[in-house]
Amino acid sequence: MYIPRSMLMLLVIIYLLFLLSVDWINAAGELWYRPFIVGFIVVLVAVWAHRNHESDES
Amino acid sequence: MNFDLTTLVALGSAYLSILFGIAYITERGWIPQRVIRHPVVYVLSLGVFASVWAYYTAVGNAQREGYGYLANSIGISLAFMLSPLLLRPLLELTKTYQLSSLADLLAFRYRSPWVGTATTLVILIGVTPLIALQIRAVADTADILSPAASHGSVAVGFCVLITLFAILFGTSRRPGRTQHDGLVMAIAFESLIKLIAFLVVGGFAIYGGFGGMAEMQAWLLTQPDLLGTLENTNYFSSFHVMALLFFSAAVAMPHMFYVTFNENSGRGALSFASWGLPLYFLLISLPVLPILWAGLHAGSAVPVEYFPVAIGAAFDSPAISLLAYLGGLSAASGLIIVITLALSNMCLNHLILPIQQPAASKDIYRWLMQRRRVLIAALIWGGFAFHYLPGDRISIQVIGTVAFVACLQFLPGVVAILYWPLGNKRGFLSGLTAGVAIWFVLLMLPLLSEASSFSAIAINWREIAALSLIINTLSFIGGSLYFGSSDEERSSADLCTLDTIKRRKRSGLVAKSAADFIKSLSKPLGERTASREVGQALKDLGFKRDDRRPYAMRLLRGRLEANLSGLLGPSIAREIIDSYLPYSIVSQHGSSDVNVIENRIEAYRSNLSGMAADLDNLRRYHRQILLDLPLGVCSLSSDREIIMWNRALEEFTEISAADVVGSQLSDLPEPWQALLEAFIGEDIDHSYKQSFELGAQKRTVNLHKALIEESGDTETSHEGLIILMEDMTETEILEAGLTHSERLASIGRLAAGVAHEIGNPITGIACLAQIIRDEYKDDELNGLAQQIIEQTDRTSKILQSLVNFAHAGTNKLMHENEEVLIHECIAQAQTLVSLDKKNKELSLEVDCDPTAAIWGDSQRLLQVLINLINNARDASQPGSTIILAAQIMGSQVHITVTDFGIGIPNAIKSRIFDPFFTTKEAGEGTGLGLSLVFSIVEDLNGNIDIISPVDRVRGSGTQVLLRFPCYDASAANA
Repeated sequence: MYIPRSMLMLLVIIYLLFLLSVDWINAAGELWYRPFIVGFIVVLVAVWAHRNHESDES
Repeated sequence: MNFDLTTLVALGSAYLSILFGIAYITERGWIPQRVIRHPVVYVLSLGVFASVWAYYTAVGNAQREGYGYLANSIGISLAFMLSPLLLRPLLELTKTYQLSSLADLLAFRYRSPWVGTATTLVILIGVTPLIALQIRAVADTADILSPAASHGSVAVGFCVLITLFAILFGTSRRPGRTQHDGLVMAIAFESLIKLIAFLVVGGFAIYGGFGGMAEMQAWLLTQPDLLGTLENTNYFSSFHVMALLFFSAAVAMPHMFYVTFNENSGRGALSFASWGLPLYFLLISLPVLPILWAGLHAGSAVPVEYFPVAIGAAFDSPAISLLAYLGGLSAASGLIIVITLALSNMCLNHLILPIQQPAASKDIYRWLMQRRRVLIAALIWGGFAFHYLPGDRISIQVIGTVAFVACLQFLPGVVAILYWPLGNKRGFLSGLTAGVAIWFVLLMLPLLSEASSFSAIAINWREIAALSLIINTLSFIGGSLYFGSSDEERSSADLCTLDTIKRRKRSGLVAKSAADFIKSLSKPLGERTASREVGQALKDLGFKRDDRRPYAMRLLRGRLEANLSGLLGPSIAREIIDSYLPYSIVSQHGSSDVNVIENRIEAYRSNLSGMAADLDNLRRYHRQILLDLPLGVCSLSSDREIIMWNRALEEFTEISAADVVGSQLSDLPEPWQALLEAFIGEDIDHSYKQSFELGAQKRTVNLHKALIEESGDTETSHEGLIILMEDMTETEILEAGLTHSERLASIGRLAAGVAHEIGNPITGIACLAQIIRDEYKDDELNGLAQQIIEQTDRTSKILQSLVNFAHAGTNKLMHENEEVLIHECIAQAQTLVSLDKKNKELSLEVDCDPTAAIWGDSQRLLQVLINLINNARDASQPGSTIILAAQIMGSQVHITVTDFGIGIPNAIKSRIFDPFFTTKEAGEGTGLGLSLVFSIVEDLNGNIDIISPVDRVRGSGTQVLLRFPCYDASAANA
């Protein structure tokens, strides 16, 4: 099965971010927007991961 | 703060009118294609997924589950972020085979109309609550803003407008897998409106409700319960079950399938959406918590889900209330329109068409469109009827969850399409039945039943969803392994599974041309529809209407099946194609289509890595060897279809590979067809010097053949024949030339011997004549003796010339240069050519400067002159004149041989000095004469020009001009 390397990296990064950020998010207190900061980071990584995948669509 | 119902109706009507306007101007082409096809529009149209669930239900979820409300956004975002694993391969499949719905996809993969029907029924039952949820949310929010409004009348009005819109813009195009630009633009606009509305309401919640971010945070610190809910979010409980529900909804929900795959605008749209859609959901999730807290802060009495419309009223801001209502209206209407369009297509293909099909005499497109419109209306009003059933006691969150759990039941079947080729229809139906039974009994029935307590279901939905999925998956695996797959299922698994190549069988078809296709398909479809569909398929493939190659016919059949699949669903399309465009019986066991496999690998090449890429490189290397081999290579299948036609063969036959690959051997033009068929028919592996006429020329080839033995693996065997064709034409001419030269050399040696033998008696005769002349005083006798002496001298000169000519060229190294007087050489040439009886009818005129001399080998120059005179003779009519001239021109001697014959055509002027090039009949010339002349002239430091025609008016005559340096005695001595 072909899985682009960037996809594997994206998966690993999402998983690591999840592990690292759960406690940080839960301890946010009034800083309720912390999950969204993590979300934006994930989106940025996804932008990078999908930068070269236009050729397979027509 | 209450609003008049008129205000809400006017607002809703105005908004839907704007939608009509956007769809209309798009359909009219007033919006540029680059805007319509922009990936941002695609992402916004995918925002249809953010329905009432994301707009209203998320607020209630946030109160109950803290950050758990983000699970739906995370689920759908993951599906798109990881699109290369699921969505991208499915997109390719749906595009290739024109599959317009999940039911089409599953029916195509599991090769069963029952799969399509079961899928449609489950989705129909499963998503009806979702449609009802949207209608209810619109009516509920209208109730909140205008308590005097009748709940039912708002719902009816909303449904009427949505029905009109869906019918007008969702069925405006030809039925099938066509893109609806107007609809997409309208849906994208709706997504934009709801995003903006929600963000504005969220901003208002912070700054209007609390007075600012700091104030809201300060208030939050005083709410330990709310903080506790956030801090205690359980990411390992319902969170990821909910995320899984929404992950599978990306494919299983009909509206998502429709927009993701049918309305994909290409050019990287899915890649863009892979991060664009997560960003959209991130933004639309952002205001949820502030809205919740603002509603709680204001002490709003309305259900938490409807806080977005309530906080405007709570903080005395009617504009915010109306904007929030508008956003909710957008969310609800977008989903209903798209879901009913998708569902109507599924119902038509998998519920209606299997029972009732249009007669061939009818306009099929019109027939399909009419039924689709009826279905759209029925689905919307079915949802309207359903929204009354659960009553107000069930929250919209519960209704939505029930719908999403139903769609979760398709996840095993969908994943197996790409990743588990052993899955089959019985396994799929077993799993689906088991999963849906659990869902129906434990979730749907309690939802509909007045008697049951729904609170237990609300608590246990996570376990029920997980249980149904596990039982479904186990039943699917167990059923598939127990029952096994049919050949047809294995074949379709090959087409769908990621790691395999579409291995289309290379069988011949009964229909041999596009006209045959139209004739066959006219029976079920009518002539007009058949002609249109065949024309469209030919256009899609870029084939001409008169193409008859079996390979092209197979591709045409596949394309037609795909196009009809988009129109009538895969089951009906396959039935029509199999019945009316059958494969011929003789080729039932045709092996795999090598060309299709190669094209597929070429298209997939960028995805290959590691050992697969190395293997592909090795394959390309070996193929390149065959293609570039200087021998012609033609490989044939067992049924005489041409599989390979290499470049050497292209050059030799002047037939391009694109024109013959995929054709039958019998389709080859002559003389190739007869040549190859005769050779294949012979019981020999090698055939040497096969001669045939190609145009005006005789060609000679050596042929070799080898059988490609069938391997043990029936899946990959390619029984056939490989033929090598070796062009022997030049070798044949070379051999003839050598034979001719050898014969001439023998004649030369013989002539020299004869001359030597004749020379002795001639010398004797001359001596005797001299004695008579010197010893006798008789004048008459002396005169006669003198004549004898002169004739013997002449005979001796001729013999000497013959001997010299015969010895010339025997050893190039032995040539010795000397002063060559041109007039002597020309005289000698004149003497020699006069011996040939062919030259008797010619008149040779000589105009020679007696002082003209060059430094060189007289015998070689003689050979040049004789060759040129003979050529001039061959080109001239009997009795015509050939002029031999030699003049000193400055430091050069110019020798010309001029004839008044037919001249030399321009087309062959550049080739006349090529070895073996001749225009003479076979056996008349070797094609080496002028080549030899060219070579000798260069050796003698001269050059040669051909002037033809000499007579420009008549276009006749040829003059050969030789230029040599003048003889320079000082230089020669040095």
